[in-house]
Amino acid sequence: MKKYLLGVAAIGAASVLVLSGCTGSTGDGGGDASPIVVGSVNALSGAAAFPEASQAAKAVFDAVNAEGGINGHLIDYKILDDKGDPAAAAAAAREVVSADNAVALVGSASLLECEINGDYYVQQDIVSIPGVGVDPVCFNNPNISPANVGPFLDMTLSLLYGSEVLGLDNICAMLEIAGSTLPAYQAAIDKWTEITGKKLIYVDDTVPYGAADYTPYIVALKEHGCQAVTVNPVEPDSIGQLKAAQAQGLTDVTWLLLTSVYSENFSKAITDAGAGIYVPAEFYPFTDAESPETKDWRTLMEANNIPLTSFSQGGFLAATYFVQVVKGIKGDITRESVAKALREMDPIDNPMVGTPYVFGPGDTHNSNTAGFPVKLLSGTNQWELAADDWLTIPE
Amino acid sequence: MLQGALSGLAAGGVYAIIAVCLTLMSRLVRVVNFSQAATGMFGSYVAVWMVSHAGLPIWLATIAGILVGGLLSGIIGWIIATWLSEADTTTRSAVTVGPLLLLISLSFILFGNKPQPFQPLLAGPAFTVSGVVISQVTVAMVLLAIVVAVVSKVVLSRTTVGTQLRALSERPTTAELIGIPAKPLGVAVWAITGIISTIVIVIVAPSQSNDAIALSMLIVPAAAAALLGAFRRLDLAVIGGLVLGVIQGFVAQIDQVSFVRYFLPFLFIVGLLLWNQRKAVWDAAR
Repeated sequence: MKKYLLGVAAIGAASVLVLSGCTGSTGDGGGDASPIVVGSVNALSGAAAFPEASQAAKAVFDAVNAEGGINGHLIDYKILDDKGDPAAAAAAAREVVSADNAVALVGSASLLECEINGDYYVQQDIVSIPGVGVDPVCFNNPNISPANVGPFLDMTLSLLYGSEVLGLDNICAMLEIAGSTLPAYQAAIDKWTEITGKKLIYVDDTVPYGAADYTPYIVALKEHGCQAVTVNPVEPDSIGQLKAAQAQGLTDVTWLLLTSVYSENFSKAITDAGAGIYVPAEFYPFTDAESPETKDWRTLMEANNIPLTSFSQGGFLAATYFVQVVKGIKGDITRESVAKALREMDPIDNPMVGTPYVFGPGDTHNSNTAGFPVKLLSGTNQWELAADDWLTIPE
Repeated sequence: MLQGALSGLAAGGVYAIIAVCLTLMSRLVRVVNFSQAATGMFGSYVAVWMVSHAGLPIWLATIAGILVGGLLSGIIGWIIATWLSEADTTTRSAVTVGPLLLLISLSFILFGNKPQPFQPLLAGPAFTVSGVVISQVTVAMVLLAIVVAVVSKVVLSRTTVGTQLRALSERPTTAELIGIPAKPLGVAVWAITGIISTIVIVIVAPSQSNDAIALSMLIVPAAAAALLGAFRRLDLAVIGGLVLGVIQGFVAQIDQVSFVRYFLPFLFIVGLLLWNQRKAVWDAAR
């Protein structure tokens, strides 16, 4: 028995040594050829899963590693799953930040990760460049600066396109509010009002997620005489709403939607798009297969069998920005030096976005403020470009 | 107001049919089948997959999907009849949560979580009442709910099989002792309700939200509807489904009460339970 206890104690002590040894070597990242640990917290499983962002970031890092890494250091990329669950998101962030001692988080794509972990990142002074930020905290935290536009400014862009480019009046809104997102959507609508001086004629901010039948909400739109409606839907809900509108004969309404529905599956599932579905794509439209803007990204994704989606564009861009900034760091690559370099970085241009990316020293970040309009018309089953150039939110 | 109420009729028809299935299951095989809508969802996903991947014509794929739904339900019924034949209703019902979760997960694994290209079997408006279009799907659902309830009633009260089924549900041991085949009859009830719920979901899925969770969770409002008939009366189950749908449509039009939209079925359930228990002495009810 005594022998057994001794054995256990010895193994325990050894593992403590090994563990502390590990964190010691990666922690400062300064040793010769020690890897740079980079993490990401993603929705990899659950009802809404988008694994492509972190897969795309990994493809970028693998390519960098294949050429010898950054200043001789290979990138060790850790992809964690938050399962769409707050507790799992918090645990994943603590694992990658405290145990793995990552220098930054890059290419995350999650529905709730920023909101759950934002304060923790500030406390640990670690920076995060999400590939696709969704919740409001992603755009409202000193340590987080996503590569994408985000659903809130995307709604401002969608409304701008509807009222200014398509010249639509009588615009309504159906908002599916999850958690504390209502003020952020309200601010996005107010921003549109501020720019155009126009107001929505009807707003329903109690539209449920995952409802089986949206007919009652569509009937309400009809009663208010909406000519166009902006919605912030997830794909299945949007399909339900379009089907209900079709059944109710509401075929002359223009749908001003968000990048959340910009996918090949969605276009295949839609037979009747009313007077047209318009989306300001947060990155250069990937459905435009011949475009030189997306060539680098497309080549890398195809080589790695990663689906061509907005999510993989976001992950690709986040990783590309990170590599470019970190390559410029003189001296040790640590959590502090990475944060400092990002806060002092020069803006980076990329053909896949309409405005240059900059992390910057501010308390909030949303450097991507341009969308590329795309449209889905009835019967075509495919997305088409709706403009020649980016639509940018005026300063 | 009337418009809102009418707009909820489509959903109400679906709740009503699934509520009728739930009531049949509860009466005849002593189970509240939480996987009732999920088997229908899985069958309809199989049908969509057969159209989009195996290139089958839509009618053939639909029939195959409906059979898969019936078969799945039959298998769950066989498992319960084999290993839980003596268990009480609560245990048998709790077991069906397993297939519910299994089928949702399995559909994510097999078909992914992206939208499916459902093709409508019934499409277009049937008629218009005060500005609300009543679609063919709505008409079909309401009629189907009534037909299923009436046919079940007739079968149970006028045929030999119906008498046997009633004997099994009222006095299971006695029925088995006089030679009524309990297991095959039980499994048949499972398979038939599985087929009915798959037919319903195959018809409605193309005209509404059709992800795996939205379809499987139709069980919640349907259970609320079945509760109106205390899981015994088919007529009240149909009325419960239609009323719940109409109330949901009605509430969606009034901004002041919009906050109850999310949990209306639950309010319905709590209200009915309180009403049912109103005369119960507290200690006896517990």
